[in-house]
Amino acid sequence: MSSRADFLRSLPYFATLGAEEIKRMEKDLLECSFGKGELLFLEDEPCQGLYAVRSGQIRIFKSSSEGREQVLLIAKPGDTFNDVPVFDGGPNPASASALEPSTVCIVPKETVLSLVADCPSALTIIRLFAARLRHLTLLVEDLSFHHVVSRLAKTLLELAVVEGGPSPVPRLTQDEMAAMVGTIRDVISRALRALEKAGAIRIEGRRILVVDPEKLRGMI
Amino acid sequence: MSAIPEIALEKCTGCGDCVEKCPTKAVELVRDKAIMVRPEDCNYCTDCEAFCPSGAIKCPFEIILTKLEPQS
Repeated sequence: MSSRADFLRSLPYFATLGAEEIKRMEKDLLECSFGKGELLFLEDEPCQGLYAVRSGQIRIFKSSSEGREQVLLIAKPGDTFNDVPVFDGGPNPASASALEPSTVCIVPKETVLSLVADCPSALTIIRLFAARLRHLTLLVEDLSFHHVVSRLAKTLLELAVVEGGPSPVPRLTQDEMAAMVGTIRDVISRALRALEKAGAIRIEGRRILVVDPEKLRGMI
Repeated sequence: MSAIPEIALEKCTGCGDCVEKCPTKAVELVRDKAIMVRPEDCNYCTDCEAFCPSGAIKCPFEIILTKLEPQS
């Protein structure tokens, strides 16, 4: 196996670093081994740092409250993961477990961020990209685990505003709702009827009235 | 006045699909363009929007948060 410095240099993240910076990274580097099936970290836990696979395979996945799983990535030797929380400062967006006996290197969050510490504008841009990537990860979760009625309930809750308030009332066709929720118009039509039947909304002409936000929230 | 679909006449090709599908016969072709001739009969079912092949008809919904209780 190559030295830790060579391994760091082989990662796209650190490929352009000079010898001094690599040395600094190497000093802070943690190396951990995990058995097959062992958890590296859980979704929503505080972020430890940027992970890189030295050997083995790591499964990055989201879990639903019912225990279903959606795999986002199988990280192989040389792959990095958990970069989003390093840069946007949030918790781990997904969980990780070893698919086989694996060794990973962890570069602490602060060490990674120190590489761009002298360029705050670059850090701001990276933070924005990371936040967008987190948003897309949440979208994957939504599309994987929530059925259309639930996704539409969430969208209506996010969009609905009080009439005459500071924000303009949003206007959406059923095609536009379908595009937001990731389905087709016919399904939206049925989902709206289901929400109305449940008493969460009322449709009056062109108005979709969110009459029971708590009920709507309970359907997510 | 009750809600009626919005028709972009410049996009309307006069195919008549909306006239055929409208369950209340609220829409008709007038000089080869779809017109809501009986707006009071329109129940905003959105069938005309669904079937319009040129995307000329839009039925947007306003999404309003109300403090009303479900039964009130």
